[in-house]
Amino acid sequence: MTSSLTRLLDFDDQFRRDSQQSQAFLHRRDRRFAQQQQEQKRPLTVPAWLAELHALNDQRQSKGPDPRLRRWRQARWIFAVLGAVLGAVFMAGLLVYDGSRQINVTLLLVLMGLQLALALLTSLQAGLGWQPWGGLLGRTGEEGDPLQALRPALSARIAHTGGLMFAISGLLTLLIMVLVQDLAFGWSTTLQASADSYYRLVSLVALPWQALWPDAVPSAELVAASQYYRLNETPVSDPALLGTWWPFVLMAWLTYVLFPRLLLLLLAALQVRGRAGSALRNHPGYQPLFYRFDTPWVETRGEEEVAREPAPAQVNVSPLPASGTLIHWAGAGQTSDELIQRLSHDAAPLQLRAGGNSSLQDDAATLQQAGERRQPVMLVARGWEPPTGELSDFLFDAREQWPAGTLIALVPLADEQGGELADETLLAQWQRFIERQKDANLLLCAATHP
Amino acid sequence: MDDNGKTQTPDDRHSDSPLPRFAVVGHPNKGKSSVVATLAQNDSIAIAMEPGTTRDSHRYPMKVDDVTLYELIDTPGFQRPRKVLAWLQGHSLSASDRPDTVAAFVNQHSDDPRYHDECELLRPIVEGAGIIYVVDGSVPYNREHEAEMNILRWTGRPSLALINQIGSDDYSADWEAALGQYFQIVRRFDAVRAPFEKHLELLRSFGELEPNWREPLDAALEYLQALKFGRDHQALEYIADALIEMLGHQQTARLGEHESAAPLLPTLRQRWQAWQREREQRLRHSVEDLYQHRRLQRQESDLSLPDGDDLFGERTRQLWGISKGQLAAAGFGAGAVGGAGLDAVTLGHSLGTGALIGGLLGAAGSYYYSDKLTKVKLGPLSGGFREAIYGPLKDPQFGYVVLGRALVHWYQISQRNHAGRDVLVVTDSQDHWLEELSRTDRNGLQKSLQALARRRFEPSKRQRLIEQLELAQQAFAQWQLAKFSSLH
Repeated sequence: MTSSLTRLLDFDDQFRRDSQQSQAFLHRRDRRFAQQQQEQKRPLTVPAWLAELHALNDQRQSKGPDPRLRRWRQARWIFAVLGAVLGAVFMAGLLVYDGSRQINVTLLLVLMGLQLALALLTSLQAGLGWQPWGGLLGRTGEEGDPLQALRPALSARIAHTGGLMFAISGLLTLLIMVLVQDLAFGWSTTLQASADSYYRLVSLVALPWQALWPDAVPSAELVAASQYYRLNETPVSDPALLGTWWPFVLMAWLTYVLFPRLLLLLLAALQVRGRAGSALRNHPGYQPLFYRFDTPWVETRGEEEVAREPAPAQVNVSPLPASGTLIHWAGAGQTSDELIQRLSHDAAPLQLRAGGNSSLQDDAATLQQAGERRQPVMLVARGWEPPTGELSDFLFDAREQWPAGTLIALVPLADEQGGELADETLLAQWQRFIERQKDANLLLCAATHP
Repeated sequence: MDDNGKTQTPDDRHSDSPLPRFAVVGHPNKGKSSVVATLAQNDSIAIAMEPGTTRDSHRYPMKVDDVTLYELIDTPGFQRPRKVLAWLQGHSLSASDRPDTVAAFVNQHSDDPRYHDECELLRPIVEGAGIIYVVDGSVPYNREHEAEMNILRWTGRPSLALINQIGSDDYSADWEAALGQYFQIVRRFDAVRAPFEKHLELLRSFGELEPNWREPLDAALEYLQALKFGRDHQALEYIADALIEMLGHQQTARLGEHESAAPLLPTLRQRWQAWQREREQRLRHSVEDLYQHRRLQRQESDLSLPDGDDLFGERTRQLWGISKGQLAAAGFGAGAVGGAGLDAVTLGHSLGTGALIGGLLGAAGSYYYSDKLTKVKLGPLSGGFREAIYGPLKDPQFGYVVLGRALVHWYQISQRNHAGRDVLVVTDSQDHWLEELSRTDRNGLQKSLQALARRRFEPSKRQRLIEQLELAQQAFAQWQLAKFSSLH
């Protein structure tokens, strides 16, 4: 019984620990466990899962109850001791017999009925989830207390434990009193009841054990003989006869006080177990756990890339050199007359093409023609496209073939119309490209208006 | 899973199928990484790498329980395609030896730093990967990429061209015609905006490249769909738990027997609000983690939520709370409205003057979202002290605000692409998303929210709440979709 509570608490603890972990980690971990259980043909249960995690994390291995249940256990002990003491006192008080008058069976029956009613009320209250005494157990509704839903059932179990101990110690007291004293029972009531109707009442009460122990059912003679009135000091004809009520009292106590308590205690224990089970199934972590067990772990991410920040670059835009030679890399800005006028010193500059869909032979021819001009060269490129290895090769070949010291102005454009590139990130990218070429005569220039 | 609930391992299904592998190749800066980031749901890929700095290719396997179903390979862009093509042409005798010639190129240049990028991108293809060639459909078609396309054709591998839309101009039709000459299949794909269903569609088309790739890819798609479904459901569980905790939360403080509770109110309210904000933040982190938006988590939120970021702001209340006019018109129970406004509003509507009265009450709406309805309650005296309790907020608006904010965040995260573009959320509308729900469902939701705010929520009703939230989730997504379509 406590194991179901311990399991619930352990599950809740694990759920709280897991809430700090990523969903991906949890899915992998639990899916691996599910597969392992399947392979080993072992059941996939919460206790097995918890045991595995506890073993991996060197956590509590013993099956002992959770320390958080201590308060409930203590309360149960207190109620049990209290019940035992009160039961003995209660019974002894009822059976005090000084010989002045008989012990009233009617009073005994009424008190037994009251005990039964109390027991039933306790169970009813737990079944309906009432907690009129909730304040005594501290504030209700502590956020996230896994035992919250179990409080009525746990309280009922404690109350029934006390009740049962009460019944047992009452029973023992009764037996001791029967043994050590000569008890004389009788019956008395203010109501106008005939011995005959009282006999019918006690027969009805004794119905459950009538067949089992016929001697414990008072006879009509006994009932008639044991009626007494406090004012009427009629002597008892046969005092020994009055003592024969005790088997009836014993069986009534057993049937209406002890057995119901025992039965209701068992029911309360079952209710605690049932509620613990349902609290576990309703726990926010329960369904996700079984989802992780059942669902294959799908991983698409592959390796994580570490963000590599490009090295910082100090963009250094130089003024356009005076030149009449333009090379359009991959045809950049070739169709913009306005751009050509803006860039060129000559009214009719030499426009060449390289890169893109030009052939390597075309590139070689371009290099040759531009080199022959013996003046700075403007290399116009699309600024929004990253400079490639081909451009780097072209510059390398140019440096090899052209006269030493020829200025090369690399002019990245912002668009096909020849706008000036202003985007800092793109400019930095071109600046870094130029720095990688390690060429002092290669300049980054902007397509500015003169 | 099969019908019996047993889990089939991927091994059972396709132990003898070859592993489909796809090399995503192209010119630098044409969105290869965005495509891979989107398909691999890995937002760490979509980092603008600077071309020219040497890069290696990266593999992104799609694994189910550690069994790979397919693999995407992100490769560096072509750096010297014309030289490579010239080399290939110079070493080939006939069309039949072209794939071998490409393999020979990779073999010969594997240590040559100049051709590092080409070797990296061609190696997986030589080893049997299919080709996914990415171009930018927003720039006009020009022939400068022909060398790259020719090299790819030389490999003889199955190939698909993907027209990725990076800018706003659309030249897809020209590209489609040109690429058709080089590639088996041509598809358009918007890597940063395409919804999840489009990702699946694209992956399915990868399966058309080779007949025996279809089966593992179809299986992979099933798993991906189930994964999305599972995540959406898990998100609902998170939202439900947050609602349960937030709506029922109480902030307490100890008070001496003769102390007055009034001075405590501002402090308690402040602590209560701070707790609520923190709890909402926790919900958001859980949802982001669920959909594996790790960059989002690392960089704090760079999401632009439509209501700013204050749970208790006036704009927030206007967006997600429900005006009394809406409450009455949408047929909520009397308990939903609270206060004396209901009769006037319902009567007003029945007389056809609802707009007028609704407007008047709307102006007074902030009353409903203030703490006038929440006072500090005092607990029983115990040991010379009593407990001062603030919360829960009885205002019915609060539940709708929390829910609305949770749903809009979920919507953005679940729809957000791993290539990193925000999803447009339309909120500028007169109607409320709740109107997408049926009257019965609205009432059910309303009752649950009320029970939560009264702290009378049975744990056993959590499942029911999740079901209600599922309907709310669908309604919200539908409402967004309708808004979106009406905009376009």
